[in-house]
Amino acid sequence: MSIFIQLLINGLLLGGAYAIISIGLTLIFGVVRVVNFAHGEFLMIGMYAVWLLAQYAGLHPYASAVLVAILLFFFGALMQRLVIQPLLTADAHIQIFATVGVSTALLNLALMVFGADIRKAEVTLGTEQLLVGSLNFVSGQVITLVIAMAVAVGMHMFLKNTYTGRGFRALAQNRVSAALMGVNVNKAYVLAFGIGAGLVGLASGLLAVQYPVFPTVGQYFVLTAFVIVVLGGMGSLPGAVVGSLFIGLIDSLAGYYVGPALKEVVYFLVFLAILIVRPTGLFGLGRGSE
Amino acid sequence: MMPPILNPRVYIGLLTLSAILLVPFAAQSPFVYHLAIQVCVFAGLATAWNIVGGFAGQLSLGHAVFYGIGSYSAGLLVSKLGISPWIGMFAGAAISSLVALIIAYPTLRLRGPFFSLATIAFLEVVRLLVVHFEGWTGGSAGLNIPLQVGLPWMIFREKWAYLLVAFGFFLVTLAVAWMIRRSRFGFYLIAVREREDAARAVGVNAVRVKIGAAVISAVLTSLIGSFHGMYLTFLEPSSAFSLELSIQIAMFALIGGLGTVAGPVVGAVLVLPVAELARGWLSAFGNGTHGFVYGMLLVIVVLFFPRGLVGHLGQYVLRLVDRLPNGYKPKVTEPAKMKVKLVTKSLGKPILKAEGLHKRFGGLKATDDVSLTLHEGEILGVIGPNGAGKTTVFNQLSGFIRPDQGGVSVRTGGEWSSPRSPETFAKAGLGRTFQIVQPFSGLSVMENIMLGAFMHTSVRSEAEVIAREVANLTELTALLDTEARSLTVGGMKRLEVARALATRPQVLLLDEVLAGLNPADVARAIEMIKRIRDSGISVLMIEHLMQATMALSDRIVVINLGKVLREGKPIDVVNDPAVIEAYLGKGYTHAEAA
Repeated sequence: MSIFIQLLINGLLLGGAYAIISIGLTLIFGVVRVVNFAHGEFLMIGMYAVWLLAQYAGLHPYASAVLVAILLFFFGALMQRLVIQPLLTADAHIQIFATVGVSTALLNLALMVFGADIRKAEVTLGTEQLLVGSLNFVSGQVITLVIAMAVAVGMHMFLKNTYTGRGFRALAQNRVSAALMGVNVNKAYVLAFGIGAGLVGLASGLLAVQYPVFPTVGQYFVLTAFVIVVLGGMGSLPGAVVGSLFIGLIDSLAGYYVGPALKEVVYFLVFLAILIVRPTGLFGLGRGSE
Repeated sequence: MMPPILNPRVYIGLLTLSAILLVPFAAQSPFVYHLAIQVCVFAGLATAWNIVGGFAGQLSLGHAVFYGIGSYSAGLLVSKLGISPWIGMFAGAAISSLVALIIAYPTLRLRGPFFSLATIAFLEVVRLLVVHFEGWTGGSAGLNIPLQVGLPWMIFREKWAYLLVAFGFFLVTLAVAWMIRRSRFGFYLIAVREREDAARAVGVNAVRVKIGAAVISAVLTSLIGSFHGMYLTFLEPSSAFSLELSIQIAMFALIGGLGTVAGPVVGAVLVLPVAELARGWLSAFGNGTHGFVYGMLLVIVVLFFPRGLVGHLGQYVLRLVDRLPNGYKPKVTEPAKMKVKLVTKSLGKPILKAEGLHKRFGGLKATDDVSLTLHEGEILGVIGPNGAGKTTVFNQLSGFIRPDQGGVSVRTGGEWSSPRSPETFAKAGLGRTFQIVQPFSGLSVMENIMLGAFMHTSVRSEAEVIAREVANLTELTALLDTEARSLTVGGMKRLEVARALATRPQVLLLDEVLAGLNPADVARAIEMIKRIRDSGISVLMIEHLMQATMALSDRIVVINLGKVLREGKPIDVVNDPAVIEAYLGKGYTHAEAA
């Protein structure tokens, strides 16, 4: 029984890590209506930045998380402005190719610059084992989960209560009508893309404590993030949070009961089932939004 | 269907292709041989991918699945059972077509990024399973192909032998793609890609067409995968089933030009050697160089040449090529005169019946017990105020909406049938237009009409003859070669009618074909509808333009609030107080009375 509870806790903690990445992805999809296949590479860049700052400036990943979040905000904004904006009215397949192209280029750039080696920032804060009764926690995972939930709540307040946030929601529903109501579409898109990427920057600071960085680290996380975002409903903030925790649980339970090699098979099968049965996801915006 | 060899487009094309063989044989360098083999393999893979990704517009990013299945099937059969890869590759193709069916069927209704994500997920699942069942597959450590040299084992000592085989696989793939593009099936693929509804209205079974494309593409990809496995002599899941490979295949097609036959080939021929050379020159930077080149190229192409090299430059090249001596004269078939049957004004027998149609959308009763009958040689007008439910009735009459209760039946000869889907309605002799015009905008007017004509013939030249006939009737003859997107509103509306007519319907359903036309076009359209009726086709039309409806219709049905309000001769209907009230409200009748 205590194993089961431990597995549940592990799952939820893992879900916290996924949540920050997924919130960014779902924000970009919901507002800009573009599936950002380069999202994982944003994470990879962020994690390399964190590693460089730790290695050469001696900054703890938690300290550099904010810096890297700002860096990635500008990176994301730039990508929106230079790559996505000219293609807003293009076919879906052109947009897919654009982000896939950015993803491929960044991944291989990292391979050229850093090589295929695995690097890790060695720190103590965030890696301590905490024992509560017979249950085992890693402090960094708890911190990640707490920050993820704070980000989710903050994002919710932002979308609900600010003019910009309401503009985002309006854009998600109808780009043209939102423009007629005075929302500056291009500016809002740049901002949304930037925030989505910035959240990934934050995530990279948090994750760098537990995970090493290598050129394809982004693909490892982002495929899962896609599963989560589709599961929760593309563009849905609560969907992304619930989906993250759910996939975290599947990961942890299937890893133990089915086998570590097959846990990904399990959640990709869940993913396919969702796509086929209800492509708008659990919290999706309804038919047609796919 | 042999290409005419004396046409400059054909002989220049063949000469260019043979350069892939001739250049390496002239250069005699192992590197050039290797490059040419890779070009053949990737040009073939991209061509096969293009059948799904380009012609059918389904952007698969999981195509490595079929490549992997092909290479692993052939590899496992030869290493475990000693079966020749020439046989093993067909086993792989069979498995691939099965997997394509399994993937295609549930993912068909997904669009754009969702389809791509689903294909990636399938790829991941298969890769993880291949890694997991290492007892069979060798797992992530990979699988070595036994080095039995000789033609039966598809393994050679000399590179040129590999090149010949690779070129053969490539040619077969290219020929299949070329034939698909020219055939009725190819037209249907493009039609489904551009506008699924309009395609179904001319009798295209969208599901079958998409699955067909997926299976053909999977089989070709798998066959090339089998060969490539034998060439590499080592297989591992992380490269055979990789997302990277899938992206690379799709990328060549995009750079060359999606949906064109030449595009994927041009993409692979130009980009692959450049990337391989870059890998050599920039080797100091390590592994990622060619991938980085690919990624940057992809972004640049998407931003500046989204239609690919062939899409942007193809016409200029063709114009140059067409200046070369041409020894081929195509036969032009003169359009036959449309047979005009003179139909007597009296009503014929019923040909289309709707009985007790009910349709609810949530709490809204959009159609509430509507019954109507269309007779042979009749023009039946359906009118009603905005929101009365006319279009919903219309969609039920053509199979786009299934009624909750009641049914629609069509008479073909003496037999009554009740079709259930848009395409079976079309096949039962029911043509329809769309209120919001749905031209296949990338195709010419001729090709648009041919799509309808293909319902009764699979031969291109016959479809062209039918298209010319119909164009005569709809005054589109002068515009046959223009792209549909450059037509005027009037032209588009006539094109809608022409496409429906080309299916040789017995019943034509017209959804507001006069709306939005200028007076001159309205007059032309009215004449056209009369000509259509005189050629023996029964017409049911929804129309807001009262005068036109009055002038054309033999009978009028008025629909209001989802119900049939009145049915009768035009003159009786317009003077009916209930009809006036439905259009103008109670106030008008009161004012009249006062």
